[in-house]
Amino acid sequence: MDQPVLEVTGLTIRYGSFEAVKGVTFSVNAGEIFGLLGPNGAGKTSTLSAVEGLLLPAAGRIVVGGNDTIKHPRQARANMGVQLQATSFQPELTVREIIRLYAGIYGVNLSNENLQEILTSIKLKDDGAKRFGQLSGGQQQRVSLVIAMIHQPPLVLLDEPTTGLDPQSRRQLWERMEYLRGRGHGILLTTHSMEEAEAVCDRLAIIDHGQIVVTGTPAGLIESNRDRQEVIQASRRGKITLEDVFIGLTGQEIRS
Amino acid sequence: MNSVTLPSNQVVLRSLLRADFTTQWRNRKSFILILIVPVIILISWKGLVDKFGGAFILGNCITVGLTAIGLMGYSNSIARDREKGIFQRLRVSPVAPGSIMVSRLCVQMAMILLMTTAVFFGGYYFDGITLSATSYFLGYLSAFVGGWLYLGLGQMVVGLIRNAETVHSTSRLIYFVFIMVGMFGELGVLGKQIGDLVKWSPYGSVNRILASSFKPGGWDQTSFLALGVTVGYALIFSALGIRWFRWNASK
Repeated sequence: MDQPVLEVTGLTIRYGSFEAVKGVTFSVNAGEIFGLLGPNGAGKTSTLSAVEGLLLPAAGRIVVGGNDTIKHPRQARANMGVQLQATSFQPELTVREIIRLYAGIYGVNLSNENLQEILTSIKLKDDGAKRFGQLSGGQQQRVSLVIAMIHQPPLVLLDEPTTGLDPQSRRQLWERMEYLRGRGHGILLTTHSMEEAEAVCDRLAIIDHGQIVVTGTPAGLIESNRDRQEVIQASRRGKITLEDVFIGLTGQEIRS
Repeated sequence: MNSVTLPSNQVVLRSLLRADFTTQWRNRKSFILILIVPVIILISWKGLVDKFGGAFILGNCITVGLTAIGLMGYSNSIARDREKGIFQRLRVSPVAPGSIMVSRLCVQMAMILLMTTAVFFGGYYFDGITLSATSYFLGYLSAFVGGWLYLGLGQMVVGLIRNAETVHSTSRLIYFVFIMVGMFGELGVLGKQIGDLVKWSPYGSVNRILASSFKPGGWDQTSFLALGVTVGYALIFSALGIRWFRWNASK
């Protein structure tokens, strides 16, 4: 791990008078998978949207690959690859055409051989002519991830990438994330799966009511919170897990 | 890991255009419908050519086509892509929002060109309407000005309404009202008062500039006034449509 590929400092997001994110600060280093966890409405999506440049923060600073997202939004976006929660490409286009479209958008010169290599790498060698809507959920996620990575960005944002995937596809995606980490990409991952966070994240932050409650490694968080009364109460099988820590720190009530 | 440099606008626009034209081509059903409706009207109005003149008939048919392009084609495609999150996906990439819209508008301009050509061809083939080269040229120009008005109207609809289904039903309703009141009002079937109103409505003003373009010698004060009214409508609709437009469908 070396220098940060994402630095979020004092991020504040308001919707009218409601403050959804209150002075959030964290960073993601190159070669690191950083997890952002939180219950529904905690401020994860707002934080991610601000990093993606879809939301203008009320205060704070976001720097992606050395580029301020407010001063140089396009340059900042060129330095990140994004996999959105809902895969969203024109259903009329084929897989090949979608990859070509995004290669063009990111200024990547893609030969037919390169394209075939990409399709082979995501196990869609013979499916390039299929329309995106004809692919299974797992295949769509693989296309979405390969597009997020097509320009080899320093930072990759993955918004609940394994939602709705079967265990095999999920494992495959984890391996893919680890491969990217190994190649020096920094990954910001949001997930509701504590198993996933524990399995792949090097560090994580738990966010609740718009504020970061705690930051650390998965093992470190379990260790430092195992004696808290709320965490022990949340534990179901005696052994303290990351999920117990999460519920202990964010409360038992169901969020909308 | 090295910093990524921005691609040139030209490369980005070329990629967007290729994708948008492919999408339009694959949506052949709506594409053909937009082309065929004005031609069917052209054929069914064959008997009216002597009474109203070829310029009036061609003007009406092109106006119907422009209404379909702006209200049925453009607004529905924008509403659908917004709801599906296609715009969100593009906006998290380094594409300038202007490039996304320019590419979409280029597709619609190509549709205007095709539809106008289809009407000219149909007018010649079915109704025996022939025009001078200047008239054809001015006809294309006027079709683009009229197209601007209807694309602006379509933009206003997607600016005002977020839900794709509601956009679809609203644009269909406006299309139907425009065509019925516009066409029959122009023909005088709905009485003098409605006829006078229609004359300066978006339908009537576009129809007038088109009809005047087909007889360049016949450009008079009313034609210039109709051009001014058309541009005025187009400016207002586009400005409001752009101001109200949101890239995501959620409130």
